[in-house]
Amino acid sequence: MADIQNFTLNFGPQHPAAHGVLRLVLEMDGEVVQKADPHIGLLHRGTEKLAESKTFNQSIGYMDRLDYASMMCNEHAYVLAVERLLGVEVPLRAQYIRVMFDEITRILNHLMWLGAHGLDIGAMTMFLYCFREREDLMDAYEAVSGTRMHATYYRPGGVYRDLPDNIPQYAPSKFRSKKEIDRLNLARSGSLLDFLQDFTDRFPKCVDEYETLLTDNRIWKQRTVNIGIVTPERAKALGFSGPMVRGSGLAWDLRKKQPYDAYAQVDFDIPVGVNGDCYDRYLVRVEEMRQSNRIIRQCIDWLRVNPGPVITGDRKVAPPRRVEMKGDMESLIHHFKLATEGYAVPEGETYAAVEAPKGEFAVWLVSDGANKPYRVKCRAPGFAHLSAMEELVRGHMLADVVAVIGTLDIVFGEIDR
Amino acid sequence: MSEIATESPAPPSRIDALAAKVEGACGARVTRVASIASELTYEVAPGDLVGVCTQLRDDPALAFDVLVDVSGIDYLTYGGEEWDTHTATSSGFSRGVTGRDESAEAPAARRFAVAYHLLSMVHNTRVRLRVHCDGVEPPLVDSVVEVWPGANWFEREAFDLFGILFRGHPDLRRILTDYGFIGHPFRKDFPLIGHVEVRYDPDKQRVVYEPVSIEPRIQVPRVIRDDHRYEPALNGRASGLPGQKNG
Amino acid sequence: MGLVAEVDAELKDKGFVTARLDDLMNWARTGSMWPVTFGLACCAIEMMQAGASRYDLDRFGVVFRPSPRQSDVMIVAGTLTNKMAAPLRKVYDQMSDPKWVISMGSCANGGGYYHYSYSVVRGCDRIVPVDIYVPGCPPSAEALIYGILQLQNKIRRTSTIAR
Repeated sequence: MADIQNFTLNFGPQHPAAHGVLRLVLEMDGEVVQKADPHIGLLHRGTEKLAESKTFNQSIGYMDRLDYASMMCNEHAYVLAVERLLGVEVPLRAQYIRVMFDEITRILNHLMWLGAHGLDIGAMTMFLYCFREREDLMDAYEAVSGTRMHATYYRPGGVYRDLPDNIPQYAPSKFRSKKEIDRLNLARSGSLLDFLQDFTDRFPKCVDEYETLLTDNRIWKQRTVNIGIVTPERAKALGFSGPMVRGSGLAWDLRKKQPYDAYAQVDFDIPVGVNGDCYDRYLVRVEEMRQSNRIIRQCIDWLRVNPGPVITGDRKVAPPRRVEMKGDMESLIHHFKLATEGYAVPEGETYAAVEAPKGEFAVWLVSDGANKPYRVKCRAPGFAHLSAMEELVRGHMLADVVAVIGTLDIVFGEIDR
Repeated sequence: MSEIATESPAPPSRIDALAAKVEGACGARVTRVASIASELTYEVAPGDLVGVCTQLRDDPALAFDVLVDVSGIDYLTYGGEEWDTHTATSSGFSRGVTGRDESAEAPAARRFAVAYHLLSMVHNTRVRLRVHCDGVEPPLVDSVVEVWPGANWFEREAFDLFGILFRGHPDLRRILTDYGFIGHPFRKDFPLIGHVEVRYDPDKQRVVYEPVSIEPRIQVPRVIRDDHRYEPALNGRASGLPGQKNG
Repeated sequence: MGLVAEVDAELKDKGFVTARLDDLMNWARTGSMWPVTFGLACCAIEMMQAGASRYDLDRFGVVFRPSPRQSDVMIVAGTLTNKMAAPLRKVYDQMSDPKWVISMGSCANGGGYYHYSYSVVRGCDRIVPVDIYVPGCPPSAEALIYGILQLQNKIRRTSTIAR
């Protein structure tokens, strides 16, 4: 009889289901995974070290590029940390704008996750459906910051500018009839808030659509139910956060438990799972999209009736308005100092955590009083989740590895930093 | 699980109550150091670390059941500047050149530290522990993998980036940097641009490593401004901070 | 069939084959540029957006293939790190000729925001020969499509038969 030995399988770094550049070294017994050794760092860019060489504001852009599926949430953690050390007050309107964009980002991230996860385990249509809605939200990003992904919109003390009164429209072209253009521009004729309101009206139906395709789908359930089970105790011991603990039944959400910015003022529910398997985490994330939609709606209603400043009036931290600079010497000096040297942050350290779509994203910021951070440590939720990879896939089949990678919602920008 | 309705930076009363509990449980093994009002920081001697961590996890009044983050830090150039701003200089600082060679200065006696951020989901509290490694090279602390299994990769990362060894870690390999990487990149004496760069060599038909060819560049010099507006804040929190001013 | 008839008709008139075979090959190549799904970082998201509902790269005959063996084009979408350089070259070597490379985003073009990092390759052209550079951080999906159209133009200009 032939002697059957375990064999080693290299998965990635170029693999369509690796969600980027994951390399997994799997030890297989037939088709059963005995041991998994994730190799990460294939996207290690030295972000934290680069941030040490740049002034505080110049590093906001690095935060976008960490978890590039949930851009503004990363910025949020960073600016919160800077704000805590500086002790600046953030205007309430800016807090609401941030909460709104955090939730837009959450929907963006979950759509990205749902599309990619679906694609990985055999639901091609999900990808097309999810990315259709993502385009609308990316337009909102573009309207407010000028770029579709890496917004650099949050600033210590508020946000870069107020919400715009108009958003880009479809231009007439020979490929589209006037009627079609008018239909496409219908929601885009008003302000950004009108556009987002239209989105929040449409979006629950879209989520229903996704659920029709997946929730009771036999194949989807076969691929996800009882795969990658995490008990609540294990989830805590392994340092999980976000949907990974909520899927296991722990109602832990920093937005509720340690509210930051305007989260204390908005009403939403925390969905929790029961079994802690891939399917429960899918349900949790889908429900989170609905809750995010609710929060966005509340923020829109509040922002419509409460105009006001969106960035602190502290000119040592935030530059003055351009109009002021034309005539006022002191404003010009403030702008010059901020543009050339930045601001010095008082000596100290802080740990600012936000509930990013993937879990607890936090920035541990150490300042020695200079205009550059002394140490920026980004606590990435995906890092803790991926470290449990071996535990999650041991004893599962090779095909389930893909389902587990999907359910972890990993993005290498934040894991490798 | 307790609900809190307050703003995220927990009120000082809550922090003091937590501090009393931590100090009651751990006694003289922990030293409270000043931090901003909403946070609680303790320093722990390397020898006491695992004991304190186990205590913090198992004491039902504390129940720090989640280790959120482990992070290394190198205090070598803490408080250092690239530009003299306190007195007038004739030389000034020209952009696009290397700053002062920080590594030439004497290293701080307590150069490396590891910070642990703990979270109690039961009580909704956070605490930060900091362990300063002894001044010997390589820096060494005990691993807390036995206490929180989630520490595994975080400690590997601190080892990789700072060269801090964790005694008792089951699998202390490099994690983020390149295969065969030399040095520990996040140390302050490691240049940002590194030592090697890669290129495809058509003759050898493979990717080769070569000494780095670009010049380091500082766009904005690092300066420390003692803003008088932050003086009250500075008085409150800077007193017990770690690291020594080198300059 | 239409094309064959067209070629036939032209062949009768002029009798030159070489140039038109070139055209035929280039027509085939530009109409079926299959890129390998090789997302490295942020730009991969925009690359996916370009392939998804709104921009729909399929209408240009651009269909993402998971295997380098079936691909003609590699879109280097994202930051290329030292650790990833060797795998990138390996994927490139596995692609069958003729093959083209689009460098997408400022990280792949020259390091970009991460130029001074110790772990980032300052431009993926140090590892693979690049045909088209798409600027941006990340380039919008439209920019990528424009880059792909530019690559089509470039392919049309090349004559495959003439040495």
